[in-house]
Amino acid sequence: MIKLENVTKTYKGDVHALYDASVEIAKGEFVFLVGASGSGKSTFIRLLNKEEEPTSGRIFVAGKNIAELSPWKVPFLRRNIGCVFQDFKLLSNKTVAENVGFALEVIGRPRNVIQTQVPAILDLVGLGNKGDRFPNELSGGEQQRVSIARAFVNRPLILLADEPTGNLDPATSVGIMRLLDRINKTGTTVVMATHDRGIVDTMRRRVIELDRGRIVRDQARGVYE
Amino acid sequence: MAIRLDYVVRETGTNLFRNFTITLASILTVAVSLFLVGASLMLRQGVENATARWQGGIEFVVFLNPDASPAQIESVGTDLRESPEVEKVTFIDQQGAYEEFKQLFADSPEMVESVTPEILPPSYRVVPVNKEIDVVQALGQQFEGKPGVRDVVYASETIRLVQDLSDRLTVGIFIVAAFLLGAAGLLILNTIRMAMYARRREIEVMKLVGATNWFIRVPFMVEGLVQGVIGALLAVLSLAAFKPFFEQWLPNPEDFPLVSGFAVGGSELSVIYLLLFAVGCIVGAVGAGVAVTRFLDV
Repeated sequence: MIKLENVTKTYKGDVHALYDASVEIAKGEFVFLVGASGSGKSTFIRLLNKEEEPTSGRIFVAGKNIAELSPWKVPFLRRNIGCVFQDFKLLSNKTVAENVGFALEVIGRPRNVIQTQVPAILDLVGLGNKGDRFPNELSGGEQQRVSIARAFVNRPLILLADEPTGNLDPATSVGIMRLLDRINKTGTTVVMATHDRGIVDTMRRRVIELDRGRIVRDQARGVYE
Repeated sequence: MAIRLDYVVRETGTNLFRNFTITLASILTVAVSLFLVGASLMLRQGVENATARWQGGIEFVVFLNPDASPAQIESVGTDLRESPEVEKVTFIDQQGAYEEFKQLFADSPEMVESVTPEILPPSYRVVPVNKEIDVVQALGQQFEGKPGVRDVVYASETIRLVQDLSDRLTVGIFIVAAFLLGAAGLLILNTIRMAMYARRREIEVMKLVGATNWFIRVPFMVEGLVQGVIGALLAVLSLAAFKPFFEQWLPNPEDFPLVSGFAVGGSELSVIYLLLFAVGCIVGAVGAGVAVTRFLDV
């Protein structure tokens, strides 16, 4: 599903955000990216949905080398990739249902599809009765559920999560992880960057550790350290 | 993938009203500059029509009696053509005079109806070799009183002055209008840029979930186009309202017998209006187009 071949990403001068990284992630896997701040976790994720270009190396997503993808095809790549962020990135002037519906609307889905899919996905994330609330009326955990609903409503092949529990307390984080686990069980490949030792040690999934841009550990059923 | 019309309409509408004052500024700038362009085009066309018989160096016109015999007409023509002081002579027969009349009074059909070719005088339009006023007058006087000649009318300094003034005025107004149109384009560009800034979070989300570039761009481009079109519309409407006043304010034929009625025909007007409309659309589209390609990093 995802394959990196000798990928290097260099920012101004000689700062290697990622250096000669080669890794393969199969369909349906759940992968934790761990490492200190600045170790290249976010760069790894941003390279996968082509928010950034690699300096060298090849990146395959669903069998296609996305480094060679022409710019106008990037939106279609992103329709297969859901993204969840630490800061949720919800639109505060839209209700919960509108936020989720917006993701379908802007890729041109017809209204009847939106009207059936949005309530279904809100039920799935446990917010079935909060569709007409605004994001700032919800708790952090609920907001993150909305953002997961938005990322997953289009049934993407891959879900990328950049520290999704970074702003949440441990109890709430557990709920979010259960949700991501459920999404993973539907066959969606999940790649999650995190600092949360407790979550990684409890879930016991594949762990890829980055240190100053290099992959220093790749362990099945791994732990944080 | 088709972009839904209701989506574009809704987004464009919100954008236009979000920055209402600055949108209004762009629209008014487009309107004022196009109004100036339109007014100077009207002025130019009006002066051209009014002085139509004095175009191309014609310095005097020999009007013949409507009932002059062919022999008389021919005799005057031969004299003119054989005169060494005449560079060029054009004969306008009664039908030609009628056509000219129809064109000049296109706006007042009742005038046209009251006239038939038989009552209009045929004429010779004369371009002399020497354009000095004294020489021209001396030349013209030779034909006054010839059999069949009704009248000799000279282009005076006034005509030349009016033509010259209108030329300079048109150029001047065009320069001002060009600067204003440039300002209008920049204003539209900035309005769109502000609209995009106001919606940067939405645009970010749209990019993340895979909206195509055109899907993101189209509402902003339509917004620019709408500003250009409304501006042009205002310019055309105010020109139409301004036209009667404009014509009154210029000399009327009775006080100023050298020129025919100052008027701009309907077909000439529609050409001017269409031109303004096209320019308005272009300014809006270009302003918005530059804004979406330069500032929308998609």
